[in-house]
Amino acid sequence: MTSWVRLTLPAAVVASVSPAYAVQYLTIDAAQKLAFPSANRFVENGGLTWKAQAADRLLGLFVVDHVVGKHLYIDYAVSLDPTGRVMRVEILQYRESYGGEVREPGWLAQFVGKSSSSPLKVGSDIRNISGATLSSLHVAEGVKRILATYGSRTR
Amino acid sequence: MTATALSAGLAHAQEVGNAHDKSNAAPSGDVALLRKLEQMEQRIRVLESQLKQKDNQEIARARGQAPAPAVSPADVKPGKDRKDAEDPSKPKLAKDQKGTTGWAKPDWATPASRDLTGKTAPVNRPNSIIGLTDSPVTGMSIGAYGEMKFGLQQNPAAGGQWQNGFDAHRLVLLPTYLITPNIIFNAEIEFEHGGSGFDPDDKLHGTAEIEQIWIDFKMIDQFNWRAPGIDLIPIGYINEHHEPTAFYSVQRPELYNGLIPSTWKAPATSVYGRLADGLYYTLQASSSLEDFGGDFGTRTDANTVPTGGYAAGIDGANALGFALPVRGGFQQLSNDVAVAGQLSYSPPVLPGFNGSVSAYYTPNTTPRGAYAGDAGMPLGRSSLTMFDAEFRYRVPNTGFEARGEYVYVSFGNPANLRANNDSDPTNNVGKTMYGYSGELAYHLPLGNILSSDWEMVPFYRYTFQNTQPGGFAGTDLNMPTGAGQTQFHNVGVAVFPSPQIVLKATWQKVINRDPAGANSDSVLGGVGFFF
Repeated sequence: MTSWVRLTLPAAVVASVSPAYAVQYLTIDAAQKLAFPSANRFVENGGLTWKAQAADRLLGLFVVDHVVGKHLYIDYAVSLDPTGRVMRVEILQYRESYGGEVREPGWLAQFVGKSSSSPLKVGSDIRNISGATLSSLHVAEGVKRILATYGSRTR
Repeated sequence: MTATALSAGLAHAQEVGNAHDKSNAAPSGDVALLRKLEQMEQRIRVLESQLKQKDNQEIARARGQAPAPAVSPADVKPGKDRKDAEDPSKPKLAKDQKGTTGWAKPDWATPASRDLTGKTAPVNRPNSIIGLTDSPVTGMSIGAYGEMKFGLQQNPAAGGQWQNGFDAHRLVLLPTYLITPNIIFNAEIEFEHGGSGFDPDDKLHGTAEIEQIWIDFKMIDQFNWRAPGIDLIPIGYINEHHEPTAFYSVQRPELYNGLIPSTWKAPATSVYGRLADGLYYTLQASSSLEDFGGDFGTRTDANTVPTGGYAAGIDGANALGFALPVRGGFQQLSNDVAVAGQLSYSPPVLPGFNGSVSAYYTPNTTPRGAYAGDAGMPLGRSSLTMFDAEFRYRVPNTGFEARGEYVYVSFGNPANLRANNDSDPTNNVGKTMYGYSGELAYHLPLGNILSSDWEMVPFYRYTFQNTQPGGFAGTDLNMPTGAGQTQFHNVGVAVFPSPQIVLKATWQKVINRDPAGANSDSVLGGVGFFF
């Protein structure tokens, strides 16, 4: 990489990561860079999924989806490593007035390492959030659905 | 990268040059060197085009267009002798992808390849079941919650006689509308006890009301504004989270029936936000509680209490149950504005723990024209302060849950409260009221029945409430019956066929110090839903 790209890219990542206002926390672009900082290509893979690559090396899959919170949609992104395990879950947009606790990093960190064989059940391997029961349930269901579609398969 | 490639190429050229020099005469050494230079140039061209393509992608994305095709290497000719490049037909996989027993790598886990035509190789797309758009949902959505109760209850007004009964206690509609991505409308329209009506054959004596109506302006994480409307007072947990799926007993937790008025709502405006990881706040201004509990229609056009006597809004039997502020018709009985604040915290160091502290203060609860007795001396101002602390702890990786709460109310000038001046010696109010409760529950998965995962939650809750601790003042005689000190034991089970529906059974035992007894035990079943 030329030196100017090397110098400005970290600044661009930092600037795009800080949330601008309550509703849209991360753009898809910013979330992709957060999840795969060493990627230089995001190849469209169909249906709001992107392969993250550094040149020809596959780093993982970036998936964008939405689920209902209580009544309004929550946009979120799941990053999978090449074995189909969750690397990261980010909330991109949270619209409602209640239940925003699903955005807490401590709660989202529970999904790291989950695979398509994980139960992903709120109250079991995923903690419930008191006061955000429906949002936490639906986000967990969404991640489970993404793992069922894009996670590793049994032979 | 360029420098590395160059030096690698140079080193390689040297090696090959040396090898050729050993086996051949001088002229083929030059040819080999030239060939190496060509390959290096080729490599630089490839790298340059990758960088250009990345820039194009970023520009296109910034402009909101679909990204440019992943590879546009029309000007790149794959050299036969390219040693640095990877063979595009063999995907390079992380080592742990292969050989894991019983697992195959996901369908998508091959890098996007380039074929000789310069286009990206077609990818097998898995069935996409996710949404096709990432734009916000517009339009209205309507949810609902409700609860129905039935069973056997002792009727204290009938000397504690056990009576069968049923109550369609609540049906609440929840319209929500995203006006703009930052402005959200929310309302709750409630029908209580089957609704209300005039025809005698319908036999309705319930309520149809606007329980909540407000518009949120979402600005930044730390600061959002709820425009003036009807909103819940941010005290404790159950007042704001009162859907039947949020608590396990058929009836709402006792502290939220009188000490904290049931569904305490008021004309209000507030600001709220997130201060740090797991830490949320709310600050609210609202129309004050009023010490008038009489029939609404008896308040005068001058917005005062009626003459000839009136019922108290605050008393030793019902606590604040009849003190809700008016929400319609500009018919509030005072100009007083109250403030409330709440901090709720889920400490990252203790996952599964949620707690809150909240406080409410009004400078005055006495309505215009308040007086003692039937036509006695005027009653002056009296402030009210309330404090609440509660927690809910779901122990991670177990089924255990614990809840605890403490509520405290303090009256500025009890001598000015109507209950202490209404000639009734049994309902007097002291300087304070307080209550506390503790609950233990256990979450038991029942497995998958009828296409959903069921869960059973047996629980026990103990509540103690003291609405007449002494310190009375005012013109009344003080003859409390002992009914002001009450203990509640609740044992029961809540079954969740899904998190949005609950079937409940609760046995409640009520004990107070009234010599006649509380006579309020019950065995109730309930059906609740929230979607």
